[in-house]
Amino acid sequence: MNIVRPADELLDQPFWRHLAAGQLHLNACEACGAFRHPPGPCCPKCRHIGEHWAPVSGRATLQSYTTVRHPVHDRLTSAVPYVVTLVRLAEGPRMISGIPPGERYDLKVGLELECKVISYDARFALPFFVPVAQVQP
Amino acid sequence: MTTSIAGIGQTEFSVRSGRSELQLAIEAIKAAVADAGIDIDEIDGLVRYTWDNTTEAAILNALGLPRLTYYGETEFGGVNCCGAIAQACAAIEAGLASCIVFYRALNARSGTRYGRGDRILSEENGQLVNRQMEPPGDVYSAPFGLLVPGQHHALYARAYLDHYGLSDDQCAEMLGAIAVTQRAYANANPRALLRERELTMEQYLAGRIISEPLRLYDYCLETDGAMAIVITSKEKAKSLRSRTVDVLAAQQYVHPGSVPMFLYAEDTHRLVPPEAGEILFRRAGVSAQEIDVAMFYDATSIMVPMALEDFGFVERGGAHDFLTSGGNGPGGRLPINTHGGLLSEGYFHGLNSIAEAVRQLRGESPNQVDCETAFMTLRGASSMILGRA
Repeated sequence: MNIVRPADELLDQPFWRHLAAGQLHLNACEACGAFRHPPGPCCPKCRHIGEHWAPVSGRATLQSYTTVRHPVHDRLTSAVPYVVTLVRLAEGPRMISGIPPGERYDLKVGLELECKVISYDARFALPFFVPVAQVQP
Repeated sequence: MTTSIAGIGQTEFSVRSGRSELQLAIEAIKAAVADAGIDIDEIDGLVRYTWDNTTEAAILNALGLPRLTYYGETEFGGVNCCGAIAQACAAIEAGLASCIVFYRALNARSGTRYGRGDRILSEENGQLVNRQMEPPGDVYSAPFGLLVPGQHHALYARAYLDHYGLSDDQCAEMLGAIAVTQRAYANANPRALLRERELTMEQYLAGRIISEPLRLYDYCLETDGAMAIVITSKEKAKSLRSRTVDVLAAQQYVHPGSVPMFLYAEDTHRLVPPEAGEILFRRAGVSAQEIDVAMFYDATSIMVPMALEDFGFVERGGAHDFLTSGGNGPGGRLPINTHGGLLSEGYFHGLNSIAEAVRQLRGESPNQVDCETAFMTLRGASSMILGRA
């Protein structure tokens, strides 16, 4: 089971709909093509107003990580420990991700990562990132 | 600047105040105006964090203030501990008000706890659900279990350690030196929540891991209580019988990705560009080397080495050696968080650290430093330099 689920009304948004279909897409500028995350109405690079959604390569580098051992909600007691990561996508933006539950890797800042979308049900999937050189079967 | 901090007031620090946040705020404001030696009717301005549950209207009506000619809010919480002071100073210098109170009231232990995920989660059909739009605990990070600020700080810590090649043992030496030093300060501070609990390095190292690499004692204390700070013009302050402190400079500095919770900024091993410190020190007319005592907003201990380096108190990567050699302790080159900090005195969202800077400059600290200037920051997002009047 996943840890926390976005509210149903949010799962209608493009970010989550693309993940549910199996691929990470990010919000991008329709003028200069720069990607941004979280999504927004304006490009922070060229200031053009207007957006579209485009697939990203799924390649990223590890910027930071933490193994959470203390559950901060009563319902998370059985979820700990889990690993939260801060990654930088090859396309530029940073995003929060994690290591898929049950998988273990030796982590180090700077590791090359690739996206592994894990589906929980027809509407909800999450973009985890795992080390390229250590992919588990 | 031409403004002064004329008074400080607070309730006790506790884990169960037993009264409303509004009452706590009123108690702190009354104590602060008494400390300033002004009449409560002279308050004509209020500033607060947007995260404070107690509105200006509630204060105005509960206290029966004759009028407010200025009230303003700064976004978030502790990020703006010095930003709220800057706003009050600007309003006074602009002539919008003459006597402004910055207040913060929170039942952060017996009420909504910032260290718990409950405030950004609901339980629906047996599942934890999130619909929060901004960090901490926003919908793009909460599904991975990043829910509370203390977990964000673990990400800052890991990025910092990696950048300088520090091992987890070196991290524990550095952060342990902060926790143990600040606890000793708190042991001498009659106000401190943990005044009676000593902390040794052995106990620190035995503390359980909360979010790697941070341990129990690297975290601040969820606290009930309130604090208020009175800001006036320097000219008015001179007419008061209280011991006032000059605001030499107070400012905000945020950059893309740095707020709300620093998830999306360019770097994570440092939290503010050098420009923030350059502007602040230039405005204050002093250098980092001339600062005598510092208060760094220590929601977690990792904020201390990062602030030391971000503002040039030590060279980049030099915080480990500075802290493990007692640089932050009594008689050190820069005593830091001499009240015990948010780690050991309590957590009024940074106002108690401002109050300690004021006490130091008045000569009233339980861990008094010979000082003319005091520095305060929350990771550069807001910062301040105070001087002896």
